[in-house]
Amino acid sequence: MKSRSIVALAAVTALSLTGCAMGGTGPAATSAPAVTASAKPTGSITVWSWDVAATALKRLATEYQSSHPDTTIDVVDIGYDNAYDKISVGLQAGSGLPDLVTIETDHASGYLSQFPQGFVKLDSVIGDKKADFDPSKWAAATGTDGGIYMVPWDSGTVALYYRSDYLKAAGVDPNSLTTWDALIAAGERIKATTGHTLMSIDVSSGATFGMLMQQQGAWIFDAQGNVSVNSPQAVQALTVLKTIHDKGLLKNVKGWDGRVSSTKAGDSAVHPEAVWWIGTLESEMKELSGKFGVVPLPAFGDSARTAANGGSNLAVPAQAKNPTLAADFAAWVLADAKNQASMMEKEGLFPAYLPALTEPIFNQPDKYFGGQKVYQLFAEQTAKIPPVNFTGDAAKASDIVGNAVVAAVLNGKDPKTVLDDAAKQIATATGRQIAG
Amino acid sequence: MKRLGLVAAYAALALGAVVSLLPFWWMAIASTHTTSELFATPLPWLPGPQLLENLARLEQSTEFARVMLNSLGIAVVYTIFSTLVSAMAGYGLAKFRFRGRGVLLGLVLLTMMIPMQVLLVPLFQMMASIGWIDSYQAVILPFLANAFGIFLMRQAFLDFPDSLVEASRIDGAGELRTFYRVVLPVALPQLAALVIYTFMSQWNAFIWPLLMLNTETSYTVPLALNRMIGLTHVDYSGLMLGSLLATLPLLLVFLFFQKQFIAGLLGGAVKG
Repeated sequence: MKSRSIVALAAVTALSLTGCAMGGTGPAATSAPAVTASAKPTGSITVWSWDVAATALKRLATEYQSSHPDTTIDVVDIGYDNAYDKISVGLQAGSGLPDLVTIETDHASGYLSQFPQGFVKLDSVIGDKKADFDPSKWAAATGTDGGIYMVPWDSGTVALYYRSDYLKAAGVDPNSLTTWDALIAAGERIKATTGHTLMSIDVSSGATFGMLMQQQGAWIFDAQGNVSVNSPQAVQALTVLKTIHDKGLLKNVKGWDGRVSSTKAGDSAVHPEAVWWIGTLESEMKELSGKFGVVPLPAFGDSARTAANGGSNLAVPAQAKNPTLAADFAAWVLADAKNQASMMEKEGLFPAYLPALTEPIFNQPDKYFGGQKVYQLFAEQTAKIPPVNFTGDAAKASDIVGNAVVAAVLNGKDPKTVLDDAAKQIATATGRQIAG
Repeated sequence: MKRLGLVAAYAALALGAVVSLLPFWWMAIASTHTTSELFATPLPWLPGPQLLENLARLEQSTEFARVMLNSLGIAVVYTIFSTLVSAMAGYGLAKFRFRGRGVLLGLVLLTMMIPMQVLLVPLFQMMASIGWIDSYQAVILPFLANAFGIFLMRQAFLDFPDSLVEASRIDGAGELRTFYRVVLPVALPQLAALVIYTFMSQWNAFIWPLLMLNTETSYTVPLALNRMIGLTHVDYSGLMLGSLLATLPLLLVFLFFQKQFIAGLLGGAVKG
């Protein structure tokens, strides 16, 4: 008994070692498993999700089961905060994952490059729907071989939330905030008349810096996967944040809780944030109803006036027992205007599936925003989000970028210098070339 | 002068007590407010009216009562068997003379140096291949033999006089009877300390239960509380209430075994 278990242990250790080796070497010679579309999928699947996303899937699973006899869909809420520990171990072990998993967009490329064999290719199911999805989401769900491996779910379309009462008091017309320069000028007026700062952000997270790069179609990495965090667009983005801070218009807060508290306390006049921020505003600060409005992000020249922050996808792991049903259910939920719109209405998940954005719900005024049709604004911007290349190394780069942003914005260093430096560090850490 | 020193000492102690109790006070206060109120400036410091609503929501969104039972069952079973294994193995390593005893003890201690992260994937694969994923035994079994516990119990038994064991054998008691009736009662303080430690470690265990349990109704308390951290809304009031309720069993275990525990702490203080 004892010797047998030791043999078993040695065997699995060897197995896991080969598993790691495979994961690290990038795309392997054999192609990833693909799924064949079936007219009538049957059987049962398990789905992992979290929070409101799990609530939405549980609701839609019931509908799917009644319209598709002989199917059972079991949705499990595995909790958002540590879901990736569970998913990573399952991918590494090659077992233990369900038929369908939820993966956020900023983790998608990392998983696809680290486990090129880990997921089922979905080209036969949604391959012809590329034009129907948020382009930035589609890019992030595309594997290293060009195939589509995840069904995009919700978009984190970014816009500029503003306190209408502060802007009014300072005589600022929100529709005039079309460029970052205009916003900074308005910020000075707002500070002079109301005493409020322009924005409360967590400088060290680097998230706002990412948005400002993405709206210009730039990011930490370029389309070829080279390090481009010191591109002219990136320098421009960081300079804007630095200027906002240097003029005393920035309130630096710590993390999620700090941002929510600061917004609730009314510290700042504007908040560049994704569409899901509406959910946070409406649940944590009901008393501020009627005091917010939304406009597209200010632009750099003729850049896009939006970016992406957050959002998820559904993916079928290669180890799924019933990939056919899993893929069919994912497409039924996500590549369907009515179902996507229902998730907007009931769970506040903003569709990445563009045909859904013409549903009536996106045309309705929102009481919280004083009757403004905010969802229409986000719907218009979603198709315009510039796709960027997250690569598999976004996680490795994020701390370095965060430090660079802090050095420039809070510690007064020159943006170009810190970003050149960050580019070198990222190139060393990831083995990638610096774009040039 | 002496009085002044006493006053200063009490003041320092009172300050220490306030500092260490403040988080508990805040936890209790936070569980009686809505989450929205917890983001207000200034923070609320007095009880609010939301306790029952929070409790209802906690139960409804995580099946908290069921989850508490799961945690309790897992922790109790784990504690009983793990302390038993520790005591028996420790006794064996302390009192039985056999070839390779030192090497064996060294090997046991060596396992303390293996980081948890290295074990996760191979252990996960073992559990998957036996088909134990999503079962309670998969949460309990892999960590039943606990090197720290074995070492602690070995040290406890080391000073136990050999002549007592021999006397018991001469009187006709079997090995098991000698262990339970003669040896174990002497080590009660250490055993109580180990029980508290083992129960706490299993009660707070997060990563392994997270990997093993795949059904919401079979979750343990930390996993259920983890579900309250959402994408756009962290249910802090529910989290605080859940954490508060989750500390109660720990408190009870500690109070129950405390007398023995303190005796255990002092056990090594005076060498007799």
